[in-house]
Amino acid sequence: MSHVVAGRELTGLFAGPSRLAAYVELARIRFWTTLTYRIDYLCGTGVLLLQIFLFRVVWSSVYADRAAVEGAGGVGSVGLSVQLAYVTLAALHFWVFNPGPSELARRVYEGKIAIDLARPAGVVQQAIAGQVGVTAAMLPFAALALLFATVVGGMAPPTSIGAFVGYVVAVCMAYVVTLLLSTLVGMMAFWILEVSGPMLIYRTVAQVMSGAIAPLWFMPDWLRQLAHVLPFQATTYTPVAIYLGKLTGEDLWLALATQGLWVLVLCVLLRLVWMRALRRVVIQGG
Amino acid sequence: MSSGSPSVAPAASRLAVPRLVRTVRLYFVLLGAALRAQAQYRANLFLLALGGIAYQGVGFCFLLIVVERFGSIGGWGFAEVAFLYALRLGAHGVWLCLFNQLIHIDQIVREAEYDRYLVRPLNPLVQLLTRGVSLSVLGDLIGGLGLLVAASILVDVDWSVVAIGYLVLAVVGGGLVEASVQLVFAALAFRLLSTDGIRYIGDDVFNIFAPYPLKIFPRVVQLCMTFVVPLAFVAYMPAATLLGRTGELAVPAEFAYAAPVLGGVLIIAAYRFWRYQTRFYTSSGS
Repeated sequence: MSHVVAGRELTGLFAGPSRLAAYVELARIRFWTTLTYRIDYLCGTGVLLLQIFLFRVVWSSVYADRAAVEGAGGVGSVGLSVQLAYVTLAALHFWVFNPGPSELARRVYEGKIAIDLARPAGVVQQAIAGQVGVTAAMLPFAALALLFATVVGGMAPPTSIGAFVGYVVAVCMAYVVTLLLSTLVGMMAFWILEVSGPMLIYRTVAQVMSGAIAPLWFMPDWLRQLAHVLPFQATTYTPVAIYLGKLTGEDLWLALATQGLWVLVLCVLLRLVWMRALRRVVIQGG
Repeated sequence: MSSGSPSVAPAASRLAVPRLVRTVRLYFVLLGAALRAQAQYRANLFLLALGGIAYQGVGFCFLLIVVERFGSIGGWGFAEVAFLYALRLGAHGVWLCLFNQLIHIDQIVREAEYDRYLVRPLNPLVQLLTRGVSLSVLGDLIGGLGLLVAASILVDVDWSVVAIGYLVLAVVGGGLVEASVQLVFAALAFRLLSTDGIRYIGDDVFNIFAPYPLKIFPRVVQLCMTFVVPLAFVAYMPAATLLGRTGELAVPAEFAYAAPVLGGVLIIAAYRFWRYQTRFYTSSGS
């Protein structure tokens, strides 16, 4: 129902010189439609806090009486308070960035891709704009979660001003990588329509490899090396590790460069897959 | 579980057994029909089953990472933690296999699908549970049981007939504990119409906490997990019994020995609650 209104508003906007306004408008619409499910997101916030509480209990238990434990990959020793701050922030970041099924897959599954194709704007860009709207809608819940997470989990201020600046840059790039990845997986919908299965698998791999459930520094060597060559660590581990001062100097620049590289690679990949996907469009419903 | 009123007349009690047999027989007939319907979508089915395993795999990965790095959690080594996790996953698979259609309860009540169940000569709950099958739950069941067999070989337990019998009962009993909690929440749909939120939270609470040696939690939390949300009975207590670790429980060992029975008791209580709530059903029907 909302897209009827949206369509009317959009025609005016597309006539203008910039399509950016249209994408902003699409994001805005998706922001408000997402907020209609605020009770669900509130429940999700509660579950996230329980998850963080579990992490805190488990890590505190295995640290036992030790003040710090040596981490792998050149991060030095990791104190319990830093570890708890990591798991809290990582869980929170992953939750905000991965709110559910990919927008693109949802549009294909519901047959709304037909409308998207008819609009004088990029289909992939529209889906990404929608995804940004969803994330924006989650920010108030994230703020609420953060408030309680400092109590049930742990929290630490950024180790330095440099770390904070690095974090801000890294978190923006991390979000772009996440968007590109989930859109890429969502594009599978053009081939198999129902992508809930693949989405679950993607989410699992992403959750483990991004460092959302455990930091790379405590992973077994083979898993850590695998995580390093995959794009997922750029979505969660990188910004949080920078914030906590575990990636500094040369490592920090390398991590940021890696993120940039993934943005480029995924953009190219997305473009290639999209060109093939376009030939396979099936419109569901009527 | 007979469909008629619980009359005490001798004639009725003589009828109760054949009626139960008939109900069980019809349960399988209807389930077979639902299965044949679902088998039409094979590719997605396979991917969903895989997705189900992957979803449950996140928690297992976390356990593996922690145990690999720190040797144990709360004194439970790799094999024991894996066994505990598998026991819980097997129980989860049992509940899902038997009761997965409960996830549609809101829709069934709101759209008056329940009307249909009331006019047919079979227990409405049985009709509801056989209205379809979700083969993705096979992923949980197969994954859980496969892991359970592997972990059972790894742990240091003398597998006598009694021990194996206890294990089988524990898996089924654990599944029934989860099922009874979900059945109680689902029954509220007759009054509240919307139970998705609480049912998902209930599911998540079991997913998050049940596969851990609960001794790592503060004592108050342990007691809550035993008497408020009975999740300690799902896997932790039976596993502690089989592994000879009942000394660490927050409650006397007898509770743990009796864990497999609790599921049966709770499901009967939950069913009575369900029956009571069905009285408040008002058809939205047209």
